Amino acid sequence: MGKKRTLRYIIAFAVLVLGICVFFVLNVCIGSVKISLKDVLAAVSGRTIDETINTIIWNIRLPRTVAVFILGGALALSGYLLQTFFHNPIAGPFVLGISSGAKMCVALAMVFLLSRSLKASSLTLIMAAFVGAMLCMGFVLLMTRRIDSMARLIVCGVMIGYICSAITELVVTFASDADIVNLHNWSRGSFSGMTWDNVKVMAVVIAVSFILVFLLSKPLDAYNLGESFAKGMGVNVKVLRVFIVLLSSLLSACIVAFAGPISFVGIAAPHLIKKLFNSSKPLLLIPASFLGGSLFCLFCDLLARNLFAPTELNISTVTAVFGAPIVIIILLNRKERGQS
Amino acid sequence: MTDIIKTEKLTIGYNGKPLIKDINIAIKKGEIITIIGPNGAGKSTLLKNLARQLDPIEGCVYLEDFKLSEMSGSELSKKVAILFTDRIKGEMMNCYDVVATGRYPYTGYFGVLSSKDKEIIENTMKLVKVEGLREKDFKKISDGQRQRIMLARALCQEPEIVLLDEPTSFLDIRHKLEFLSILEKMKEDKKLTVIMSVHELDIAQKISDRILCLKGDTVDKFGTPEEVFTEEYIRELFDVAEDINKYAEEKNIKLF
Repeated sequence: MGKKRTLRYIIAFAVLVLGICVFFVLNVCIGSVKISLKDVLAAVSGRTIDETINTIIWNIRLPRTVAVFILGGALALSGYLLQTFFHNPIAGPFVLGISSGAKMCVALAMVFLLSRSLKASSLTLIMAAFVGAMLCMGFVLLMTRRIDSMARLIVCGVMIGYICSAITELVVTFASDADIVNLHNWSRGSFSGMTWDNVKVMAVVIAVSFILVFLLSKPLDAYNLGESFAKGMGVNVKVLRVFIVLLSSLLSACIVAFAGPISFVGIAAPHLIKKLFNSSKPLLLIPASFLGGSLFCLFCDLLARNLFAPTELNISTVTAVFGAPIVIIILLNRKERGQS
Repeated sequence: MTDIIKTEKLTIGYNGKPLIKDINIAIKKGEIITIIGPNGAGKSTLLKNLARQLDPIEGCVYLEDFKLSEMSGSELSKKVAILFTDRIKGEMMNCYDVVATGRYPYTGYFGVLSSKDKEIIENTMKLVKVEGLREKDFKKISDGQRQRIMLARALCQEPEIVLLDEPTSFLDIRHKLEFLSILEKMKEDKKLTVIMSVHELDIAQKISDRILCLKGDTVDKFGTPEEVFTEEYIRELFDVAEDINKYAEEKNIKLF
């Protein structure tokens, strides 16, 4: 029995890694300019054939693809943490309004800085997003004291999201600057315009968060069962909860600061991964969710860029098409179990 | 015999409002204690305090010679296991996974099971007679099976004390007897101390070494089955009024 399971895990991980490799290459090759695999390999290994292609690969496609990989994983991870925290499979940074809160603060910070003709650094934006994420998380936590029903909590989260989005829209509408076009694109979620400097910052922040989350896998395992069980097994539940809140907010903040709010990845990816692994062990699910989120986002970004090229779709448009049905399926399954 | 757990001037309740005042009890190693009393008397609250899931309003619980409030979480979890009424929330867990969570206090940093852990899990599952359920989804088994899995989980923790909140309430008679026989066997073999709340007075009478009776805001009585189970006392404890008692006699329904 142990062997059969181990084999399943190995195959599942292999599928994920292979899928990521394939879509990574496709993302680099396919675009408004098609680039052959040979040219990509040449450019990556440093042999210059065509200066333009070299620039496209190094300055546009590669940083963007790497960013999609990192941020997609982070999205799934923050979703996984929130689902664990609330014991609710449809919790995620987007539906709880955390992304939108982060978005609002980033927009305010950007506009404020632009009006003084200062350029916002990556770290400033992450900080602003973190403040926004924590604000909304705090609000959601306050509501959990009064609301028991998970569905109602989600509805409240969505409402918070709308309020924050409205404020963001207002700020964006009345701000006047050339950069506003960027701001507008960003506020709807997009991976475009990533630079290597962005990638470096997000890689560091998300790598650190990932390691911290991974180190929490044992207490998370106990917390999965429920709070009284976790307490009974000697877990300091209060401290653990603080850690989950901080880490999930930091992850959401980092994503929003660079790519804006992206919907449904945080719910869909961990859910599919749980089904794939048929397990609840955080030790497996934490790295697997990360990879799953990456794969999901690489796939969606490929579609967003190319489906109606040269027009680029918002990433959320694509993720919603694939992610929202999954949420519906989860809800339907829940009800079935409740009745039986 | 030494006291394994005792309370001193313990006052318990919620949000600073006392529910039961001035509890002074001492329980010996290897005793089976049942807690009885009317609904809302504070049976679960007392158990939660003994498990440190709730903090006392006043007074202190001692585990052997240590103050419960000063023990580390991992020390406590190696001595005390719980089987409360909370449902397990985890998804996609089979029964083996659930039982294995009992080894949590003993596993290393990432919680990977050692071969010794696995051996203990196997033995416990055999003892509780749930080997056959290993691969079954925990959410899809019957109440009786679930309760036995939860017992296996608690016993995997290798505790000295196990605290149970109405463990037999939803079980049919066969599963009740099986469940209780395992507890009794653990008492004989491992000197396990069992503290549990029950509603079934006949069970309390037959299985307990001593019975703790809660009523109003105090411990009304703490004594042997012979001391507790008299018709007058039980009627008084549960406020069985004259007319209700008459009805019970008419229908030949025994109080215990």
